[in-house]
Amino acid sequence: MSALLSMEHLTGGYGEADILQDVSMHVDQDEIVVIVGPNGAGKSTAMKSVFGLLTIRGGKMLFDGDDITGWVPNRIVQRGICYVPQVDNIFREMSIHENLEMGGFLKKGDLSAAYDRVYTLFPDLKERRKTMAGSLSGGQRQMVAMGRALMLDPKLLLLDEPTAGLSPKYMEQIFQICRDVRDTGVAILLVEQHAKQALAFADRGYVLAAGKNRHEGTGGELLADREVAEMFLGG
Amino acid sequence: MELFELINFYLVPGIVLGSIYALGAVGITLIFAILRYAHLAHGDLATLGAFIALAAVTSLGVSPLAALPVAILATAAIAVGIDKVFYNHLRERPKIVTVMASLGIALMIRAVVQVVWGVDTQTYSRGIVRPEDYFGIRIRDREIYTILAMLVLVGALQMFLTQSKWGKAMRAMSDNPNLALLSGIDNKKVVMLTWIIAGGLCAASGFFLGYNTELKSMMGWHMLLPMFAAAILGGVGRVEGAVLGGLIVGIAEELSVLVIPSEYKAAMAFAILLFMLLVRPTGLLKGKVL
Repeated sequence: MSALLSMEHLTGGYGEADILQDVSMHVDQDEIVVIVGPNGAGKSTAMKSVFGLLTIRGGKMLFDGDDITGWVPNRIVQRGICYVPQVDNIFREMSIHENLEMGGFLKKGDLSAAYDRVYTLFPDLKERRKTMAGSLSGGQRQMVAMGRALMLDPKLLLLDEPTAGLSPKYMEQIFQICRDVRDTGVAILLVEQHAKQALAFADRGYVLAAGKNRHEGTGGELLADREVAEMFLGG
Repeated sequence: MELFELINFYLVPGIVLGSIYALGAVGITLIFAILRYAHLAHGDLATLGAFIALAAVTSLGVSPLAALPVAILATAAIAVGIDKVFYNHLRERPKIVTVMASLGIALMIRAVVQVVWGVDTQTYSRGIVRPEDYFGIRIRDREIYTILAMLVLVGALQMFLTQSKWGKAMRAMSDNPNLALLSGIDNKKVVMLTWIIAGGLCAASGFFLGYNTELKSMMGWHMLLPMFAAAILGGVGRVEGAVLGGLIVGIAEELSVLVIPSEYKAAMAFAILLFMLLVRPTGLLKGKVL
């Protein structure tokens, strides 16, 4: 089976500078893939490249049978990839329900099935659907942000550091939600600072350093790799 | 001074003037929230709306109130056109460029009004209308229409913003433009909607100023400062704040003649603006930080 998303020898960046150099990775269906690496390694950049947010100068991006290299974000959203930025990822002055409605903006017709799916994944949100998203705690905001992105029924969800600034309790909860989302048939590609925890929970991982692929493997393999452990995981 | 004297000579005219300011301030606040610049042509756009209504009254022979919808639609279309021809090209440039451009648009609109309708004072209908007496409160029909029209138009706008898909898209664009784009919201359509609404309300504002007083080519320009004061007083980006701000500025201007010479009435808006920027720049109902 061919991969859902495959990034092949990608080189590119913002403006003139190439932040990514010859990066290749792939995500299969029903899989959680994590990108880890030190600060400034190009983790978030690699993810943004999928979403058409940077200038690509070499290589290509294939998604579900289409070459999506150079597509504009709007078209990529419609094709089935949704992106949750690390910061400013909710509409603060709108209710939880309205946040979800905006997530489903491009969907024609009835949204009730999409609301049901998201509220089943996040029962906490259903209870507080009329609450302004800006008044929620960090963990709940992250849930709203993920819920918004799931409204369009994507095949692939991109999460940029979903656990940044969250307590360990919430981190575990977000990871559990990721597994639940995966089990509904949505592949997930995420960037994580908490390398150890993320590798332990993900199906596969990539270690990036200085804009290049360094290691790849299952979470367990990477955690067991001495070089990876020394370089990025603090021994 | 008697209570009724205070109400009839200061409070009622203040509420009427405040309603007129509110209609303009709502547009200013929407443009600021969604496009993120101060639109200095707003006053002159109101003048244009008022004179378009005058054209409808004189050419079609309809009553002023029947000319209002014509003025609203025409001014909304003109506002969309101005955005497409001028502001749209400056979207990627620093916002101050568009602010300055809007000052130029203000002068252009005023010049068009002066060329077409002249610089003399005009009215929708001649003659003096005596106020009706309602249990001691004296109020003219046209003053009632002004207040009612403001409440209906702003109420309809609020319904649109909170209930409809595109209204919510406008709020989303104001709240978090990047995320709105990531959600696939078409920002060109949102910008166009914003101009339709702001242009239409602007025409209503100019119309009611002309309806309650008279039409002059400088009428809108003189309203610009009070309208901005109202938008900032209420909290930028807040529709209900713009209404509250408009009413406060209008009433404050009318009441000010009790303590300062009436020639300085216009300075009230300026004083309120300065005071708010110093004390609470986010406005009464917490708006965006300027």
